[in-house]
Formats: sequence, C-alpha cells, structure tokens
Amino acid sequence: MGVLTEVYEMLNTCNKCGGCHTACKTYKLTGQETMVARGRIQLIKAVADGKLEPNQEYEDAIMSCLLCGECAVACANGVRGNELVMAARRDLKLRKGIKPFAKSFALKTLASPKRLGMGFSLFGGMGKSVLNKIDGMDYFRGIDIRNFPTAKKPFLEQVPERITVQHPKHKVGFYVGCFLNYSLDQTAHSVVKVLTKNDCDVIIPKDQVCCGLPQYAYGDFETAKKNARKTIDTFLDKYKDAEVVLSACASCASMLKHDYLKLFADEPSYLPKVELFCEKVVEFSEYMAKIGVDQSQLHNSSPVRVTYHDPCHMIRGLKVTKQPRQLLQMIPRVEYKEMFEAGRCCGAAGLIQAFYHEVSTNITDQKVENIKDTNADLVATSCPACMLRLQGGINKAGQKQKVMHVADLMANAYKD
Amino acid sequence: MLSQTVVNRLKEIVGEKNVVTDKVGLLTYGYDGTLLSGEALGVVSPHTTEEVVEIVKLMNEHNIKLVPRGAGTNESGGTIPTQDSVVISFTKMTKIHEIDTENFVAVVEPGVINFDLQVELEKRNCYFPPDPSSYKASTIGGNVGECSGGPKCFKYGVTRDYILGLEVVLPNGKVIQTGGRNFQSEPAYDLTRIIVGAEGTLGLVTKVFVRIIPLPRAKKTMLAIYDKVEDASQTVADIVAAGIIPTTLELMDNLLINTTEDFSHAGLPRDAGAVLIIEVDGYPEDMDPQVKTISEICNKIAKEFKIAQSAAEVDQIWTSRRCAFGSVARVRPSYGVNDITVPRSNFPKAIQGVLKVAKEYGVTIGVVAHAGDGNLHPLVLFDQRNKEEVETVHAAEKALCMMALDLDGTVSGEHGIGLVKKKYLDSEFTPAAMGAFRKIKRSFDPSNRFNPGKVFEL
Repeated sequence: MGVLTEVYEMLNTCNKCGGCHTACKTYKLTGQETMVARGRIQLIKAVADGKLEPNQEYEDAIMSCLLCGECAVACANGVRGNELVMAARRDLKLRKGIKPFAKSFALKTLASPKRLGMGFSLFGGMGKSVLNKIDGMDYFRGIDIRNFPTAKKPFLEQVPERITVQHPKHKVGFYVGCFLNYSLDQTAHSVVKVLTKNDCDVIIPKDQVCCGLPQYAYGDFETAKKNARKTIDTFLDKYKDAEVVLSACASCASMLKHDYLKLFADEPSYLPKVELFCEKVVEFSEYMAKIGVDQSQLHNSSPVRVTYHDPCHMIRGLKVTKQPRQLLQMIPRVEYKEMFEAGRCCGAAGLIQAFYHEVSTNITDQKVENIKDTNADLVATSCPACMLRLQGGINKAGQKQKVMHVADLMANAYKD
Repeated sequence: MLSQTVVNRLKEIVGEKNVVTDKVGLLTYGYDGTLLSGEALGVVSPHTTEEVVEIVKLMNEHNIKLVPRGAGTNESGGTIPTQDSVVISFTKMTKIHEIDTENFVAVVEPGVINFDLQVELEKRNCYFPPDPSSYKASTIGGNVGECSGGPKCFKYGVTRDYILGLEVVLPNGKVIQTGGRNFQSEPAYDLTRIIVGAEGTLGLVTKVFVRIIPLPRAKKTMLAIYDKVEDASQTVADIVAAGIIPTTLELMDNLLINTTEDFSHAGLPRDAGAVLIIEVDGYPEDMDPQVKTISEICNKIAKEFKIAQSAAEVDQIWTSRRCAFGSVARVRPSYGVNDITVPRSNFPKAIQGVLKVAKEYGVTIGVVAHAGDGNLHPLVLFDQRNKEEVETVHAAEKALCMMALDLDGTVSGEHGIGLVKKKYLDSEFTPAAMGAFRKIKRSFDPSNRFNPGKVFEL
C-alpha cells in the first residue's frame, strides 16, 4: 500500500476529463477504457482505496501501458499517467511478484550479463537454424525474429577498453547497453567511429551491465538498483577520467539520466553520487551537437531521403528532438522529410511487444504507414529497440526502407 | 448480475471481446467527467445498427435497461450507469460513411471522435462548427446526445443546428430515420430536434447526418487583457452592441489565467483580472474593419490588446483556453463544472452574481465563459474527500443556478442535465412543461429502458 499512498494525491487529481484519450495509442486501437490513462488511473485508485483486489484483468490494464508518456504531456491537470502506472507495477511486484514470463525469461536474463550473452548466442546459432525449419515461424508476436540480428561476439569483447586518438579534445565514457552489445554491434562500432573522428578518446569499461530499466519498468526496483549501483560505481570510481557517460540508446540514456535519481530517492547517503553520475550522462546526438561536428569531413555521393523517428525516451524522456535532425541534415545530399506523428511510440515499448502483441503490432503498422508516406529510403532513430521494431514492421509490410541509428548514417559518411 | 444466457447471447451478437462483465472492466465504464459513479451489469460494444437492434431486443426480452455511452467525457452524469443497466458503448462504431462536399453533408457513425471528423473534413476544406473543449476525445454521438456547444457557437450555433438527420434505434427495437440528408426542413414533426439533446433517453443514435460548412477564408484572433473581470464583460456587451458577431468571445478570469499558465506557459499576465479571446472569421476583406472596431472598443477599457500575428500565436492563445477545465486541479483536486447561461445582455450581471455567490458561500470559483452566448462555466473548486466542503459546494452550485434563472437564463447551456442538474429542472420549467417532457419520454419509451433516471424522473 505504501507505494500507492505516495502517489495518492496525483491519483486523486485525475478529473476523468478524458483528455488523455487522444494521446493514448492503446486506447485509440482498442477503444477500451481499461486501456487508457484515465481508466488505468481509476483502477489504481480503486486498488489504493481497497475497493479492488488486484487480479489478472487489473494486471493486464497496468502491464499493457506503453509507458510512452504521451498522456502526461496531454494532461492539463499535470497528472503523469506513466508514473502512476510505474507505481502500480511496483505495488504489484511488492504484493505478488512479477509475471512468471517476465520474471524468468526476460528480466533475470537481462540482469545477468552471462545469461544474456548465452541467450543471444544460443538464439543466433541454434535458435535461428531451428526457426528456419518451421514454416510460417517468421514472426513471433509481431517480432521479426528470423531477421533479429545477433552479434557474433558481444561488442565489449571486440574492442579494447580504451581507444585513443592522436589529438584528443574530449574523453568519453561509452555506456554500450545490452542491445548494442549483443545485437546491433555494428551500431556500437559506428558510435566509436563518429566519436574518434571528432577527436574523442573513448573509454569502454568491460564490466558494464544492463542499466536496469527492464527491471525498473516492471517494478523490480531491487535488481534495478543493483545494476544501477554497479553502473554508477564503474563509471565514477574506476573510470573517473571519463568526462561524460555517453549512451546511444535513448532508453538506457533516459534511465541513467533521470530514473536513477528516482530509484535512489530513498538513499540520501548515496544520492549525491547518483546526482554526480546523472550530470555526466549524455545521449549520442545531444553530445555530438554539443561538441560540434566538422561537416567538411562528411561525404555522401548518392542522394538519399531520410526521415526520423523520435523514440519515446528521446522526445519525452530526455526531451532531445532537434539534435538528431540537425546531425542528419549535415550529411551531404540527405533530403530530410518529417513523418506524421514522428514522436509517437513505435509499439516496441520494452516487453509490451511480447506480452500484448496484438496492440503493439497495430501500433507498429500505423508507424510503418507514416514512414511509407514520406517516401523515405532510410529511417533514422536513436534507440536500438525502436530500430529492431521498425525494421521488423517494415519487412512484414513488404516495404524496402532500411532503419539505421543516427550514428550509423554519420559513420557511413566518414571516409575511412 | 447478468445471467449467463444473456451474456452468451450478447457475445453471439457482438463477439466475445466486445462484452465486458468483469469487475475491472465494469469499473472503467462507471464514471464520466463528473464526480459521480455507478456500476453497470455489463458493457457491450456493437459495430453496426443491426447489432444495436439485436441488443435492444435482447434487453427488452429480459427487461434490462440500457445506458448509451460515447467517450464518457460529459460533465452532467449522463452516462453514469444507474438502475441495473447495461452500458452500450459506441466506441467501436467509428466509420465515416461519406463526406459530400457538394451538398455539405457528412454521414458518420456515432463513435466517430469529433476531432477525427474535423481532420478528415479539413483535408477537403470543410469543417463541423460545434467544437466542445473535449472535442479531441468526445464522440459525435455524445455531442448529439448532449447537444454540445463550444467556443464557435456564438456565431455558428450548437450541435442541434448542424444535424440534418439521424438514424435511430427506438426502445421497441425498430429503426427510424429522421430528417434528411439533403434538406434542412422537416416535412413532418421535427423528431431530429427532439432526439438531439435528449441524452439518449428516447432512442439510440446509430448514424448521424451532419451539416458541414466550408472553412472560412480568413480568421483573426485577438486577445484583450483586463484588470477586472467586470471590464471584460462590458467589452462583450459593447462588441455585440456594435453589431459584430465574432466567431468566439471566450472569457477566463484571474484564477483560470493562473492555472492555465501553469500548464501551457502561454505568457498571459498572471496579475490580470480577466482575458477575452476574440476571434472573427469570414472573407479576408472583412477582417480589417471588424478588427478595427473591436480594437477601438477593447482599448477603451482593456489594459492590453493584442492581435495574433502568426499561426503559432493563435495556437498559444488557444492552448490556454483548451486546457482551462483540467488545469484547475492544480489548485484543488476536485471541481464542479457549472453550465449556466443567461441572455447576453445580462452577462455582466451574471458575472457579478458569480462573484457574489463565491463570497457568500466562501468557496473558490474560477470562471471560464463562452461570453458571446452568455454561457458561463463557473468552476467551483474543492476536495471531494472533505464531506463538509462538498455540502457547501452543492449549496453554492444551487445558488448559481437560481441566480441564472433569476436573470432569465437556464441551468444548462450545453452540458446537458444528466443526473447532476435534474434537481433544478423544476425551477426552470413549469409543471405543465415538465408534464409534456414526461409524455414525450413515455411515448418513445413506455418501459423507461433507455438511460433511465436521466434529465428527470419519469
């Protein structure tokens, strides 16, 4: 009850005006009042008031939220629906633990680098060869699993801990994150390339772990804290010469920069260190725009039309929207075309794509339509989860667009 | 509780997923924009008129009542399930059947969201004038049920003025069509106008023929800032007296200026007593003379007068107004929305009246008003957890209604009566008129099965 008591004033501030209806993708698609901030908030309030005992239907309402944060932007009352859902998830965790699937498979695996590495290599090798033998097993719950990329070797095992340039102007700590380490290692290489081309020494601690967001999002604050503490201590103690902690994953960056503060709000003795760490965290595009990119070094021979998708954690978490667009438009012969609703969730939303795939698949399909309308050749974005989700959706729709990280597009524009 | 037979039959009609009987689902269909709540026996979401007919027949066989619901954003308790009823939710009937720009008609299903229709119409250079503040969420069916208004209603009229005809499922399960898509008169009794605003008590609307009009060629948005709310209301009277009918004359008082600023940061001066948002539209050549007259009137008493110079400035001005209702929650967690309307010549007196009620009852009241039509929304702020305060608020709200009636006004300009205001209806209408309402209701719905207990007790 404690968790919900803390947010009770905000629960009580929802006036049920329905202003969140238009902001909520899960409502737009289902038309169900359990699938919108107003409904979810009234349910959480009923639980807080002891009028409702959490059951499966309640869990579905709480767990199916994308946490995209659009309801909070739309609410004139200042009610932050996504935060209330987070509180409800934490409350559920304290009451009865997390869903078995989320608990065993996804969250525990992500929390342990060993398990995660093994999972990806098993999937990449045997898993895929098995899948290839099953007809029609291309998509698991809307996820394009056959084309799901896996790194042959984790990125962290491919690179030295310190990469130095001739005339260093900056020293960047690179927080790689699970997706770039195990799946999109090429993007991680792109990040390093862009940084080194811009006179940055790069420090890549080998012993970095998952940022803790997946666990945090499902209310497992204990595991999230463990990983957060490890991350903070690694970068602040062992690699204290890193001027910034850079992440090229919007979700990790948002977790490192903002949610760590919330996570450790109850530990005043450790909090100052967390604050110091959060100050240092910077997202890739934000950092490149800040230090300035030498445009004369960027080359591109063929014209290309590019559109950009704002990841939820980028536009509403970090509130970074201009910089990636600026960087893209610095590349010669890039014709930039804005898509309709660029800032709306792509449907990946962490584990939602696996748990509530019907809803998330429809959301992705809409996004793909918006991409199609731009006639873009390339879709750039800033979050590996969005990259995989969008590419899957595009492939499924029989479209040709390629999805790349902003760092990939930039890296390709540097002559080796 | 619904019997398994009824539940199974409902599932056969609309599909398994479109019937809700679990506690969690029912809880989320038990409220609307008011503080009231109830619990339905079930929620059923039909997709077609045929399904609606089947549902009505089934409910009749089992003597179960039906409460129609759109987005559930109303401010009068109109969609609160009462008396062991099943909620019939129209959110799955979202087809826009037709947009005919040659004859200025659109044919839509009741679940179409006002905003979604506007987006489609705008692509064709047309629009549907009724624009309640909830237009991004509320449905056309809901707008028809409540006869919604909105900021543009001063010049263009309310929902009733834009409904050419309706397809309606009657309480006996028969389907009728009222009015017609291509003409604006009704050869026989004007059933369309009886059903619009009847809050779903006479029939279930399954198709709406709406009148659309071309988008104005030009528009000017102005903002006047006042020291005192009384000065703003004087401007309203002066503009109307000068023979100008602006599209919009929206007023917000000091409290609302501050709460909306907290959300929108539109740059309204926090110390102002009131602001007026004034908008005129028409042909480009009509703009300047109107703006000139208005600026002369405003500059006489306003502290500041601005004409928006860009689309961004227009947006900024409107953001404040659109978020007005919700934003008061920053002051106190609960609010009661009142919807009193007086003849526009009495508007300054009504503003005085509101201030007097606030003082007499010791309650905080913020005022936002569609000043052009004399429609005021005094928002009485409180905390619903404080029982004593709730009592005082109810007394103050009653005083506001009585004040409006004394000024030859009405207790509800556009939100409907629902449950919230039905206790005042006897003060507004004579017993003979109330008797006539009841006779109409009985002739449509002798068993009182559609939205029972709303508007008045039978």
